[in-house]
Amino acid sequence: MREPVPRRLTASTEHKTPEARSQKNQYPVPPTAGYPASSDQYPASSTMSHIGQYIPGESIIHRLDPRVKIGSVVALSLLILRGDLLWLGLTSALIMALVPVSRITPREMARALRPVLFFFVLLFMLHLLFTEGTPIPPFPSWPVTMTYQGLFMGIMTTWQFLLLIMSASILTMTTSPADLVCGIERLLRPLRLLGVPSHDMAVMVSIALRFIPTFLEEIDRIREAQAARGADLGSGSLIRRIRSAVSLSVPLVLSSLRRADELALAMEARGYKRGPRTYMRDLSMGRADYIAVAMMALMTSLRLFQAYS
Amino acid sequence: MIRVEELCFQYDPKQGMVLNGISVEIERGAYVGIVGSNGCGKTTFVRHLDGLLLPTRGQVWVEGMNTRDRDLVSKVRQMVGMVFQNPDNQIVGMTVEEDVAFGPCNLRMPSREVRKRVAESLELVGMKRYARRAPHTLSNGEKQLVAMAGVLAMGPRYMVLDEPTAYLDPVGQRRVLDVMGRLNSQGITIVHVTHRMDELARAHDIVVMDGGRIVLREEPARVFRRVQWLRDLGLGVPVVTELMWRLQKMGRKVRPDVFTLEDACFELSTFMEAQDVRHNERTGSSASNCKHRA
Repeated sequence: MREPVPRRLTASTEHKTPEARSQKNQYPVPPTAGYPASSDQYPASSTMSHIGQYIPGESIIHRLDPRVKIGSVVALSLLILRGDLLWLGLTSALIMALVPVSRITPREMARALRPVLFFFVLLFMLHLLFTEGTPIPPFPSWPVTMTYQGLFMGIMTTWQFLLLIMSASILTMTTSPADLVCGIERLLRPLRLLGVPSHDMAVMVSIALRFIPTFLEEIDRIREAQAARGADLGSGSLIRRIRSAVSLSVPLVLSSLRRADELALAMEARGYKRGPRTYMRDLSMGRADYIAVAMMALMTSLRLFQAYS
Repeated sequence: MIRVEELCFQYDPKQGMVLNGISVEIERGAYVGIVGSNGCGKTTFVRHLDGLLLPTRGQVWVEGMNTRDRDLVSKVRQMVGMVFQNPDNQIVGMTVEEDVAFGPCNLRMPSREVRKRVAESLELVGMKRYARRAPHTLSNGEKQLVAMAGVLAMGPRYMVLDEPTAYLDPVGQRRVLDVMGRLNSQGITIVHVTHRMDELARAHDIVVMDGGRIVLREEPARVFRRVQWLRDLGLGVPVVTELMWRLQKMGRKVRPDVFTLEDACFELSTFMEAQDVRHNERTGSSASNCKHRA
């Protein structure tokens, strides 16, 4: 029997891959004897790396009910946006503490924040330069002046947004997309009384997420096919670039339509119909979940009390 | 049992019939191969078996249930699972286990039952270790196994596979065929549509289609014997069968109804041992080579 050895790209993610996790759950090794372990060498998440990519793990935050996590992020966001300096400090401390508790390394967090860095700088500069107030001494006579008030506002706003993105990242990094969709579906379920089809929405969202990597692969394939025929993509004047984007998107749209057709057929064959369905995971609240809810409720009510007294 | 009676079908009333009066019975536990050249109506035919298409004329009965009956559609689809050609376009879930759970969830089974079935069917196709993987990290063969697990989780008695190996590499092809054979030995009826004859060595029965009709239903050995006839239909036979057929045409005394490499090697080696002494040394060594390869 051939012993398949999962090979990983980087050592830092080694203990967090799905296989490592499932092996921890003691799944027996399947009968793959005699077959080359073809996709064992495939890095688990190499084609997808975007903001807040899910990092499998077993931390207490990972194990929280997705509904609790989603609710907490919403509550935290309100506290961050509507709070004064004291609340901002409090939520900062909380979020800073949550990062190591979720076993997210500073480097992973930095990688999640990098794509929005430009936005942070822009936000800061806008506040710094366009807020009325006392000019900062060295350059008082410039047409656009920096002000103390602007500096304060800039730091505050940037800090607020940083916290927002961080809390959302903690959510998405510790919750698998499947759990996230499931949690959102459960939270939206009461809206079904108003005619919101939460079941169908959950299926829609999960199909959309499932096909993102497939489409990325498809785009690569089309681009390679066109490059192999001598197409010069991604260079030249703006018009040429737009034209090449069109020549990329036409085959993509056509193939998506064909995919949609076949997928609809496959779903029908597996008994899909609109309306209520059940789910593989039943979400249940544990002790940690109740504690988390209690904490968030306490913080929110304190803030409300402060506002109306 | 699936019973098809005088099935006729047309996609568009302005165009001709795609299926012209198909009558066939598929017994429980059988392994039926369906072959035919391109455009002969194989896919159209098997899509009638679980009510994805409804007959223009004629009836399809699945275990006594008519596929036309709107109230029974869900039961029929639970009973007859369908695996399609393109491995990518039949996977719905974000992870392997989510996808396998799709069918049972549609049947509104309770979560505990769904999880049990997901684990069992992944085990059955040997993909349990990949339960948490995202589909795009799997090879096409593995995706096809996941699709089969997704069908199995619904607890079918019949499994219709429409050219399941068309997109696969040889390794994936072998894995899928092995699992199909294993499922059949566990009592699941397999209907296997293909244009690669050599995949049907395991089949109990081969149905040959041409022009929307069934032109032959026989056991593989008898079908493969009609090499010239199959060629005229635009179908090939397995390479080893063709070799035996040619040898026989040359006047050698070999059995023509051989269609696996193992049988061919055995047949050839016994044939060569029976040859005269002059060739003994050369043929002896090549026969043992052949045995070794098999």
